[in-house]
Amino acid sequence: MQNEPDLRLEEMVLNMGPQHPSAHGVLRLVLHLDGEMIVSVDPSIGYLHRGFEKLAENRTYLQFFSMLSRLDYLAGFFMEWTYVRCIEGLMEIGPPPRAEYLRVIAGELNRIISHHMAIGDYLLNLGAVTPVLWTFRDREDVLDLLEMLTGQRMMYNYARVGGVRYDLPDGFEEQCRKFLRRFPVMIDEYEQLITGNEIFLARSLGMGVITAEQALDYGLSGPNLRASGVAMDLRRHDPYSAYPELDFDIPTGASGDSFDRYKCRIEELRQSVRIIEQALDALPGGPVNMRIPPMLRPPAGAIYRAVETGRGEWGNYLVSDGSLRPYRLKMRDSCFVALSTMPKILPGHNIADVVGIAGSLDLIMGAVDR
Amino acid sequence: MSAEPFVTGSEEAAGLAEELLAGLAAEVYPDAGRVVIVLQPGRLHEAALKLRDDKQLSFKYLSFAGGVDHKDRMEAIYILRSVNHSVVAELRAPLDRSLPVAPTVSDVWSTAGWHERETFDLLGIEYEGHPDLRRILTDAADGVHPLRKDSRPQRVKREEWRFEGIGAPRRLPGEEERINRS
Repeated sequence: MQNEPDLRLEEMVLNMGPQHPSAHGVLRLVLHLDGEMIVSVDPSIGYLHRGFEKLAENRTYLQFFSMLSRLDYLAGFFMEWTYVRCIEGLMEIGPPPRAEYLRVIAGELNRIISHHMAIGDYLLNLGAVTPVLWTFRDREDVLDLLEMLTGQRMMYNYARVGGVRYDLPDGFEEQCRKFLRRFPVMIDEYEQLITGNEIFLARSLGMGVITAEQALDYGLSGPNLRASGVAMDLRRHDPYSAYPELDFDIPTGASGDSFDRYKCRIEELRQSVRIIEQALDALPGGPVNMRIPPMLRPPAGAIYRAVETGRGEWGNYLVSDGSLRPYRLKMRDSCFVALSTMPKILPGHNIADVVGIAGSLDLIMGAVDR
Repeated sequence: MSAEPFVTGSEEAAGLAEELLAGLAAEVYPDAGRVVIVLQPGRLHEAALKLRDDKQLSFKYLSFAGGVDHKDRMEAIYILRSVNHSVVAELRAPLDRSLPVAPTVSDVWSTAGWHERETFDLLGIEYEGHPDLRRILTDAADGVHPLRKDSRPQRVKREEWRFEGIGAPRRLPGEEERINRS
C-alpha cells in the first residue's frame, strides 16, 4: 500500500453538527484534529438559509414586517426596530417621544431575555444544568411582561413606522417595577452559583482569547467586543432613540476570554434594569403612534441604520427606488461575524472546549444564515 | 479608547475624508447620517488602507461588505465605522455588471473575508486576491446568484431516491445521464 507523501497520518477530520445538541441551531464545524487538539476549523453555515433578503424584495415594506422577528428569534424586537429606523430615516420622520421610550423598554426587556439565553445555554454547554433552569425561570417573567406589552411572547410585531403598536397596558408598570426590584437579587444568585465555581473558572478563564486588535479587525460587536476591552456600544457610540437621555455604564472586560464575555453579559443585565427603571420614571405623555400612509413609498435613496442588540450590531442597509417594495435590503448580523473568528481562535484548544467557546460567543443560527 | 466618543457631524467628517482621499475618490458627500465615498474599484484597496490608518478618522471597524445590483451596473458597498468618532462611512465602487470584479479588502479588515464570500455567493461579485472565495450560504449551481435582479426562484424537480442496496453508490434518477453527457 502506497501512502501519498503529503498525507498526514495523525490528523483526523471530525464533523461536528449540523445536528448537534450544543450547536445553537444548525451549525456544522469541520474540525481537523491532532489527537485531542484542534489544528484547524472550517465552519460551514447556510443550513438555515431562508433567503430573507430576496423575500424582502418581493414584498411590500409592511408585508415583510412580520418576518423580521424570525431572524434572531430570541430577541426579535431589535430587528423590527432597525427596519423601522431605516424607513423613518428615508421618510425623514421621527416617532413621538413616548414611542421612543416604549421602544427602549421593549428593547431592554429583549436584551435581558437574550442574555438569559446566552448565559444559560453557555453553562449548559459546559455541562451545568441548574443555571439554565434558573435563567429560564426568570426569562418567563420577562416574557410575561413582553406579552402584556406586545401581545406576543417572541414574535412581537410591536414596532411601527412612526411609533409602536400599543400604549402601555393597565398594570404593566406595576408588574414591571415589581420585576425590576426582584431581578437584581436574581442576578446576585446567578453570580453566587456560577461566577466563583471552580469548574466553571477552569473551563472559561483563558479560553478563546480575542485581543482588542483582533476583535476590531474581525468586526466583533456587542459583549464579545467589549469583553476584549473596547468600550464600543452603539447606544453610546452612535446614539439613537431615547438613549442619549438615559444614564448607564458600558461594562468592559480586560482579557477577552470566555469568562469576560460571560461577565460582560451579567453586568449588562444590571445596566438593563437601570435603563428600564429610568425609562419608566421619565416616560413622557402623548401619542405612541403617528399617521402614516397605508401604502408606504419611502423616497428613493440608500440608508444604513444599526441597533445594539444583545449580541452586537444588527444593521440594515436599505435601498429604496421609491416603489412599494424595498429594492435591496442587506442585513448585517453580529453572530455571522462572531462565527467567522472561530478559525482564528479555536486552533490550539482541546476538542472539549469547542462547545464552551461557541457558547460564550452566543451564536444564533437564524440570524447567521438569514 | 474612551467610552464617550467625540461626536462629529457627517458634514465635518466628509470634509476630513475628502481631504484624506484627494485624487482617489471621485465623489465624497454626506447623506442620511453617513459619509458616502464613491470611487473606482481600482482605487478601493489604497483608499481602504488610508481610511483605516488615518489617526483622526480611524475607520478600524468594518460593519460589512456587500453589494447592490442596479440592473445596469453592480455596486460594491462597504460600511465603515470610526472607533474614535460617531461617524459611519460608506465606500461605494461601481462595477461592470457582466463581469463584476473588485479587489479584496480582507487583508485590510479580516472580517471582510466572510462578508466577501457571502457577496460572491449571493451577487456574484468576484473579489480578486481573496484567499478562500467559496460559496457560504447557498448551494446554487455555477453562475446562479440568487440576489441578482434577473435571478428567479427555480422549482427544483423532485425525484424519488432509488435504493440500490447497501454499498451501492447513491444517485438520483437521471444523474447518470447528466454525468455521461458532460
